[in-house]
Amino acid sequence: MHPAIVTLLASSAAATASALGVLPLVGRARVPERWIGWANALAGGMMFGTAFALGAVEGEAAVPAAIGTLVGILFIAWTHAATGTEDLSLNRLGETGPEYGYRVALVQTLHAGSEGIAIGAAMTVDLPFGLFTAATMAVHNIPEVTVLAAVQRSRSVSLATAALTGVATNVPQVFVAVATYAIVSAAPGTLSWVLGLATGMLANLVLVELLPESYRQAGHTSIAVVASAALAMVALLIGWVG
Amino acid sequence: MHQILLVGFYGLITALATGLGAVPFAFVKRISGRTAALANALAAGLMLGASFGLLAEGSRHGAPQTILGANVGLLFVLLAHRWIGHGDVSFGEVTGAGARRMLLIVLVMTVHSFSEGVAVGAAFGGGTELAFLITVAIAVHNVPEGLAISAVLRPEGTSVLACAGWSVFSSLPQPLMAVPAYLLVETIHPALPYGIGFAAGAMVFMVFLELLPEAFEDAPRWLIGILTSGSMTVMLLFQRIL
Ligand SMILES: [Zn+2]
Ligand SMILES: [Zn+2]
Repeated sequence: MHPAIVTLLASSAAATASALGVLPLVGRARVPERWIGWANALAGGMMFGTAFALGAVEGEAAVPAAIGTLVGILFIAWTHAATGTEDLSLNRLGETGPEYGYRVALVQTLHAGSEGIAIGAAMTVDLPFGLFTAATMAVHNIPEVTVLAAVQRSRSVSLATAALTGVATNVPQVFVAVATYAIVSAAPGTLSWVLGLATGMLANLVLVELLPESYRQAGHTSIAVVASAALAMVALLIGWVG
Repeated sequence: MHQILLVGFYGLITALATGLGAVPFAFVKRISGRTAALANALAAGLMLGASFGLLAEGSRHGAPQTILGANVGLLFVLLAHRWIGHGDVSFGEVTGAGARRMLLIVLVMTVHSFSEGVAVGAAFGGGTELAFLITVAIAVHNVPEGLAISAVLRPEGTSVLACAGWSVFSSLPQPLMAVPAYLLVETIHPALPYGIGFAAGAMVFMVFLELLPEAFEDAPRWLIGILTSGSMTVMLLFQRIL
């Protein structure tokens, strides 16, 4: 199978898997706030692990990768500032204003785009690493949709709609992954830069979107345990993949 | 000079270099709550970068052993945190949560120096030339680690000189461990990935448990995102080009 098709299928699977995130909400309108904190920390730890894996690809030029990383970091900061979402709390329960819904959806879309760059770049490194990254992102998407679904359920959105919205916010992941794959395989010289870019974007997203609220939701110790364990798990698997 | 003396001497130089990390704080006069938060964010990034470097290094010797070591490191900090948290802790003039964080960072960084000392000692097996390079690399690598320690101690009112002193103290295990590691290089080699993983796990957990929540308390998250992921990138680049 052509690697571009694999990229398409793998990132589509990652986006679709995110629907599983609504499962904790089956049969209940609200989940305890602690769960939301843990879901954020789980998603955050995995994302940090992926950033580490992308930043540690052997044989890539160190300086372009570092410059790419700094650009990725600043790009995330810039998109948040440009959309006025730099202080937006993403986990507000019971907030029913339509404007709030749009802003959360906007943030999620930008977030999923960054993950698409990660998958696309990893696919150009080699197939096992690409599939590994797509699989990590797929699992990472699940707790993210749990959080999103919890916010939506508190706005009396149905479970099915919440699942669909979850998948929909992850669709940009698919397009961006395929586009990134196409660009990097056409211009292999850009790989170090793009890997760096993805590393910076993912690391900064964890810090600004996933972690800040989790500490208040579930307490320092349990968040630190969940986030580090998730990171360690990804690091272990990456050691396996090579 | 006798080879063993040389190993110890090189180790000592690397320890003294750590004290240089306190120097920037000689130029910061007044430290507000926000500066303290940002200093913690900086320390978090430097420690994440250092532990990612260690994880990559450990994985070359064996990924499962490294991750096993990392989990023990996590557990170690968790227990130390519990243990310190129970009594009335003080660190110099400081008591309470600030003192606990100060004790923990000195403890974690000191413990991580043990495995780095082993690395220095083991490197001497590769010849004096290589050992000299590695000594320089570790000495330079220690400067930002001293900066990380000072960034936590200084905002609590520790003097610049005492910050330098604690930084050097945290690196003393390097010369102490380098000599036995040099003598027992064959015996010690299989234990290396466990030790490296232990150091990385302890540092990552410390970041999630104490440094990031402290940072989020008093500074806007976009700034923490840039500072932490930015200093992480610079630290990683630093380690890769050395
Ligand atoms: Zn995500
Ligand atoms: Zn170190």
